[in-house]
Amino acid sequence: MKYSLNVAHLYGNLLNTYGDNGNLLALKYYGKQMDTQLNVKVISIDDDFKATDFDLAFFGGGQDYEQLIVSKDIPSKKEELTKYINEGGPMLAICGGYQLLGHYYIGADGEKIPGIGALDHYTLSQDHNRFIGDIIIKNKQTQEEYHGFENHNGMTYLGKGEKPLGIVESGHGNNGQDKTEGVIYKNVYGSYFHGPILTRNGSLAKKLLITALERKYPKANLTKQKALKIPETF
Amino acid sequence: MSLKSTLAITTGKSAYWFLHKFRNGGSSLPGKLTTKIDPDILKVLGKNYDVIVITGTNGKTLTTALTVKVLNQKFDHVLTNPSGSNMEQGIVTTFLTAKKSKNGRQIAVLEVDEANVIMVTKYIKPLAFVLTNIFRDQMDRYGEIYTTYQKILDGIALAPEATVIANGDASIFNSKKLPNPIQYYGFNNQADHDTTADVNTDGILCPVCQHVLHYKFIVYSNLGKYFCPNCGFKRPSLNYQLTSVDQLTPATSTFTIDKTTFNLHIGGLYNVYNALAAYAVGKFMGVEDDKIATALNDPDERVFGRQEQIQVGDKEVTIVLVKNPVGLNQVIDMVGTETEPFSLVGLLNANYADGIDTSWIWDGEFEKLPKMNIQQFMTGGERYKDITFRLKVAGVPDEKLIVEPDLHVAINKFKDLPTKRIYVFATYTAMLQLRKQLADDGYIKEGI
Repeated sequence: MKYSLNVAHLYGNLLNTYGDNGNLLALKYYGKQMDTQLNVKVISIDDDFKATDFDLAFFGGGQDYEQLIVSKDIPSKKEELTKYINEGGPMLAICGGYQLLGHYYIGADGEKIPGIGALDHYTLSQDHNRFIGDIIIKNKQTQEEYHGFENHNGMTYLGKGEKPLGIVESGHGNNGQDKTEGVIYKNVYGSYFHGPILTRNGSLAKKLLITALERKYPKANLTKQKALKIPETF
Repeated sequence: MSLKSTLAITTGKSAYWFLHKFRNGGSSLPGKLTTKIDPDILKVLGKNYDVIVITGTNGKTLTTALTVKVLNQKFDHVLTNPSGSNMEQGIVTTFLTAKKSKNGRQIAVLEVDEANVIMVTKYIKPLAFVLTNIFRDQMDRYGEIYTTYQKILDGIALAPEATVIANGDASIFNSKKLPNPIQYYGFNNQADHDTTADVNTDGILCPVCQHVLHYKFIVYSNLGKYFCPNCGFKRPSLNYQLTSVDQLTPATSTFTIDKTTFNLHIGGLYNVYNALAAYAVGKFMGVEDDKIATALNDPDERVFGRQEQIQVGDKEVTIVLVKNPVGLNQVIDMVGTETEPFSLVGLLNANYADGIDTSWIWDGEFEKLPKMNIQQFMTGGERYKDITFRLKVAGVPDEKLIVEPDLHVAINKFKDLPTKRIYVFATYTAMLQLRKQLADDGYIKEGI
C-alpha cells in the first residue's frame, strides 16, 4: 500500500472490554480502501510512549480494576501524551480512555483518581446506576449523526476549551444532564460510544485517517482518500 | 417440619401438578409460591441432600449434565435442575418435585447462576462447589469479571467447609484465599514455553502484584499454565489433569485424563473442560475411572442437545449457540477442525436474553473464518446488518456472502448452498426463532 500509519493502541491488553478492538479493525478496513497500511503497536504498563513515534492513537475502555491499574501507570506517559495531543496528533479515546485524558474520575470505591489532565474535563460517578442503551447524537457544526451503544457509570463534564462530539438526540450522553456527548479537542475525539464507534460511524474513522495522513504526508494528493464513500453499516 | 413448611410444600406441589396437567408446564411458579409462604423452604427441602453446586460463566449446563451422568454410575438417584432453571425459584421447584431415593445417599447436582449461589447457601450447606470459568459476558446485564467472582465468593463464604473444585487454569480462582478445602483441575498437555495471552483478552493481571501474567502454555483465552514473571505467583498444582488432547472434530473430542482416554460426543475444546470438571467431581465422589469413562463416552442426545444436527433437504445443519466472545472464539476454533468444505450462517439478535449490546461480536476472532474451507457465508437475524459488516471487515468477500434477514427464505436457501455441511452460529433468541421456523416448515417437531 502507498501509505502507512503507526498506530498506538494505548493499554490495549488491559482496556479492551466492550468490543472496542473493533475500532482498530474498522480503521484497518477503511485504511485499506484508502491505500493505507496500519501498523498497530500496543503500548501498555511499563512501555514507553513517544509522541513522535505515532501517527494515530487509540485508547479504549475497560473494567474498573484494569482502569485503576492503568491510572497508576499513565503518569509515566503523561508528558509525551500531552505533547502528542497538543501538537495535533489524532486520537480516539473511548470510555475509560476518555476519562483518563481528563483531570480525574471517581473510582469504584468512591476515590478520586487523577487522569493526565491533557483535556479539561472531569468525571463523577453515579450511585449504583449506569447509563445503558442505544444512543444517537448530532454534531451541530458538521450535521453528522453518530449512532452507538453506551454503558457507563461515569458522568463527564466538559471544560471551557472543549466541544462535545455531538448533542444527544436520544440516550444519556456525557452526564445525562447537559445533552452533550463525547468531546472534540484539537484532533482528539473522546466518547462513551461502544458499538464500536468506528464500525457504526465510518465517517469518524475516515476523519481520523485523513487527519493522520495529512500530518504525515503533507504533500501527498489525498483526493481519492477524501472521496471515499462510507455506506451505512447498521 | 413446621406447619408453614408443610403448607408451602403442598401449595408448590399442587401448583406444579396443575401446571403440568393443564398447561404446558412451568418451573418457576411453583417455587415462587412455595417461597412466598415459607421463605426458608430450601432449608427443609435440601436437608437430606448432598448438594454439588456448579457455577461460572460458560459451561454450567453441560458440566452439570455430565456430572449427573458420572454420578449416576455410583448413586441411584441424582437430582438435578433443568437447564435455565438456575435461579432460586427454579431450584426450589427442582427439590419440590424430586422423587425420593429409596436407599443410599441423596445427591443433588445444581446448576446455579453466579449471583444466585448465595440464595442457595443461605439455606443449604453444599458438599462441593464447582467453578468452571469467569469471562466477560453480556456486559449490559452482568458486571465485570471480578464482581461476578465476588458474588460467587459471597455465596461460598456461607459454606466454608464445602470443597471447592475449581478450574486451576483460571488465575481468578487462585486470586483470593478461601478457608475451604480446594481441588484444582486443569490441562497439562503441552511442553512448557513462555508466552502471553492475546491482546484482546481480559483477566490477565497478576492478582498479587498487578503485572501482566505470562504462561508456560495457553489452552485458550486466559486459561493455561500461568505464572507471574515479577512476583512468582503461579498456577497451583493440579489434582486432576488432562494430559493430552488426542483428536478434535466439530462433533467429537478424544482426550486423556490421568491415563484414561475419553471419547466425548461433542466438539469444542471448551467442552473438554466441562468433561474434565465432571471427571473431577466423579473422582471426588469416589467414582472409578472406567465408570466415569462409560458415562462420558455415552452419546446421549439429551445431554448434547445444544449442538444438534438437523436435516434440511440433503443438508446437515448444525446449530451452535453463541453468547459471548470467549464462547464464540471457541466455536470458531471448533468449526476450524472441520475437514470437509462447509457453509457458515451467522444469526444475530440483540434482545434481552441475547444481550442488547452487539459490541461483543467485535471481540470474536471472525478474521480466522476466511482462512477456513468455507464455500459460502450467510447472515441473518434481527441485527443482520451488524453481523454482515463484521464479516466484511473480517475479509469475507461480497460474492461469498448472502444477506437474508427472513428466516423462512433463509432456510429455503440452505438447500441451495454449495456444501453438504452447514454450521449456524446463533444467539439465544435467534436460535429459538430458527427452531420455530424449522418446525413451521416441517423439518423438526415443535417443542423439541
